[in-house]
Amino acid sequence: MSKNHKAAPMVDEVSEFEILELAVRELAIEKGLFTAEDHQQWTEYMHTLGPLPAARLVAKAWLDPEYKKLCVKDGVKASLEVGIDWVNQMPTKFGTPSDYCNLRVLEDTPKLKHVVVCTLCSCYPRPILGQSPEWYRTPNYRRRLVRWPRQVLAEFGLQLPEDVEVRVEDSNQKSRFIVLPVRPEGTEGWSEDQLTEIVTRDCLIGVAMPKPGKTANDVRHIRPAVNPYGH
Amino acid sequence: MSKPNYDLEHHVKKATGIGDPQCFKDEAGEAKFKVGDKVRVKDLPDVFYTRTQAYTRGATAIVAELVYESPPAEDEAWDNCDNPEWFYSLIFRQKDLWPEYPDTFAGDTLETELPERWLESA
Repeated sequence: MSKNHKAAPMVDEVSEFEILELAVRELAIEKGLFTAEDHQQWTEYMHTLGPLPAARLVAKAWLDPEYKKLCVKDGVKASLEVGIDWVNQMPTKFGTPSDYCNLRVLEDTPKLKHVVVCTLCSCYPRPILGQSPEWYRTPNYRRRLVRWPRQVLAEFGLQLPEDVEVRVEDSNQKSRFIVLPVRPEGTEGWSEDQLTEIVTRDCLIGVAMPKPGKTANDVRHIRPAVNPYGH
Repeated sequence: MSKPNYDLEHHVKKATGIGDPQCFKDEAGEAKFKVGDKVRVKDLPDVFYTRTQAYTRGATAIVAELVYESPPAEDEAWDNCDNPEWFYSLIFRQKDLWPEYPDTFAGDTLETELPERWLESA
């Protein structure tokens, strides 16, 4: 290491919200609402979660009409069959600290397309879908999707014909939502595992449609701002 | 000033092994609206906390489902779980929410959930 080496900061900037979270967390621990160990255990648990159970739920529902009915009627009960117990599995034993336990599965039809947003914050069905993507939490997506859903979906590469009704689900209370898309053509005779592979996280939020051969979310290219803030 | 008497374990005790909102089941009494009813969202004051979006105020919607019973967010934010209400899933026509929404897509809708106190018959 040269003499001139200066340690560079690991993190450029800590946002006000991160400071706020830290302050509230420490106050809650001091007040005895939960312990530091509880917090660590919950955080680590949350980061083990991902969208695979929800993808399997959709694949099962495509193959079994009775299971599909159960998904639409009682999402929490249907989740048990893909290994997710919304109530008892979480380390808190009453659901997750930030997510309530009412899962609603929104069934698309060839004439109805659902898409999920949380305009007030970023409610997301974490137990069955894992952590939300960064774009889902942005004010840009949240404020625009409710008002210009077709334009925003087009930005995701999803252009819907006029005769397909778009239904925006604004997740604002104690229900959490996943979309059950229409099974695409070209998947006749597929096994549950094969079907699970094409149900991506974006399909489950509703900003994409499943397609044979497509097993990953699109990478969204970020264009630099024309007039960047602070410059 | 006397020390407030928090029951810090209240929510944990009530929801463990049952879940939230499931733990408030059968506590709201009879529902005022039923599936298919036309309702209007009231424009109530929301000084401290609400989860009723500003864009829904004054708009009409159709009740799609009675989803669960729970204290409304306005109460629960202050740890008040004494008056659970029915929550309704409502379907709005996008045309009724955004005046400039194009007629071409008149069939487009938006669904969201609101507690009973925010709704009146329309």
